[in-house]
Amino acid sequence: MPKRWEVYPGKSQVLCSGRCISAKNLSVFYLTLALIVISSCLFLAFDCRLLAVTLSPSVPVLAAVQFIFVLCCLLRTTFSDPGIIPRGTPDEAAWIESQLEGPQVDRDGNYRPPVRLKDVQINGRVFKLKYCFTCKLWRPPRASHCSTCDNCVDRFDHHCPWVGNCVGRRNYRYFYLFLISLSVYCLYVMVFGIVNLVLLAFFSIWSVVGLGGFHTMLICRETSTNEDIKGSFNQRRHPDLINPFDQGNGLANCCYVLFGPVTPSLLNFREDEIGLGSSISLVTNNGRNGTVSAAAASTAVTATPAVRYSNLTRNNNDATSNSVGHVNNSVQVISESLPAQLPGDGNDVIVKNGNGAPADGVISGGTDAVGAQNSNTQSASSVHCIV
Amino acid sequence: MSSSKPLPNSYSATILPPANKAFVPRDYSHGTELRFSTELPAKLQGRIPEEVFTAVIGNINQLLIAAETGSASVYLESCFACLTGYLAYLCMETQYEKCLRSVSRLVEEYNRTVFGPRNLSMIDPSERGLRVIEIVLLRP
Repeated sequence: MPKRWEVYPGKSQVLCSGRCISAKNLSVFYLTLALIVISSCLFLAFDCRLLAVTLSPSVPVLAAVQFIFVLCCLLRTTFSDPGIIPRGTPDEAAWIESQLEGPQVDRDGNYRPPVRLKDVQINGRVFKLKYCFTCKLWRPPRASHCSTCDNCVDRFDHHCPWVGNCVGRRNYRYFYLFLISLSVYCLYVMVFGIVNLVLLAFFSIWSVVGLGGFHTMLICRETSTNEDIKGSFNQRRHPDLINPFDQGNGLANCCYVLFGPVTPSLLNFREDEIGLGSSISLVTNNGRNGTVSAAAASTAVTATPAVRYSNLTRNNNDATSNSVGHVNNSVQVISESLPAQLPGDGNDVIVKNGNGAPADGVISGGTDAVGAQNSNTQSASSVHCIV
Repeated sequence: MSSSKPLPNSYSATILPPANKAFVPRDYSHGTELRFSTELPAKLQGRIPEEVFTAVIGNINQLLIAAETGSASVYLESCFACLTGYLAYLCMETQYEKCLRSVSRLVEEYNRTVFGPRNLSMIDPSERGLRVIEIVLLRP
């Protein structure tokens, strides 16, 4: 004798030997299940580790309880009978259909299908009951036939693919509780996920944002960190001191510091390094400290060294006085304090060896050149050739 | 005894209703509540007094309507089940199921006392999906 579930005629899927019933196509339901389970596992495994320690161990416990409740509601919605009305027996069908008006051909020769409606008064209101030919029954009010599952379902709400079953009278409360509990659970996970992020990022936010804010303040005040530490322009310590570099208002300071003129590098590392004389040690950034011999210096001198200050010339004729051939954009510095004729005019820099010639190759004005003549040529003054 | 051939979906005039079965349909005049019509079917005319029939159906209706009424105990039972994540329903019987079992017992009782002596047999409506009450005429 077969069990009733074995001869069930609809399109639903019967599982667990008749204990469960669902729609045939459960692929979207598996997606729903996967989304819930995977995000819950990630939350419990990662976020809850920090939250249990910093906040309270009840955070993951509550999350687990909610997760189990959501799953229970979802599984009940999916696998329970939504309120399927069992199909009428053949005898019932014969009895009902014998009472229906049969198909008729009216005077015009038009075919009229059998009437399958009957009127019923429900609390004063006329309601049309339909006869379901598939299920062989008068469909109760609020029942509807689901074409996906091929059943009449009592108080039919809708067929939900996410849940993989019809939602009807018997499983509507589970469906609704699933929605509500899942909403609450989602909010819970979201809130504690954000809390977790905030806790993790707290220190980095504090240090980086704090530091950024501090430097913004410094820029607005046209102060450097060093000056701030020393309190050079601290109004509280030295009330009469004003910051002479302050341009007046914070915005102007910002503009100048951030968008002001960009000074080019004065190192010119890509240029050839030139020797400058016996007593002169060339100190360059790569640590090369070459002491040029007197002989070499003389030859170097006669070779008209091209050591030069890029922004100090008598006139604009840079190219001719420059044996290296570099054309630099020298700015003509016209200084009233300059003597009429600089020593060694025609060359940018005169570097002479220690015999009565200026050993100091620095030209910053006439006075220095004169002074250089008197300086001790053996002094190991280092020339910073900033070329 | 009766035609047990499955009917095609379209109406067929050749299938006759079974001669030995009377059906009592659902009564929707009060809404969707569980209620069967108390009108005596034509096939039972003369087999059973109308008042007896009305009383029998009336009693069954009372039990069924009680099954669908929301009372305090029903609400408490549902709340309790909800709190357990509906796992409690795996162990306990609901109010509705209890009412349907009492209807079965009542139908058995009536079959013994009212219908049996009249060569009739009432089929429990739960067996028919609460669509109809089927009464079998055991002897024509």
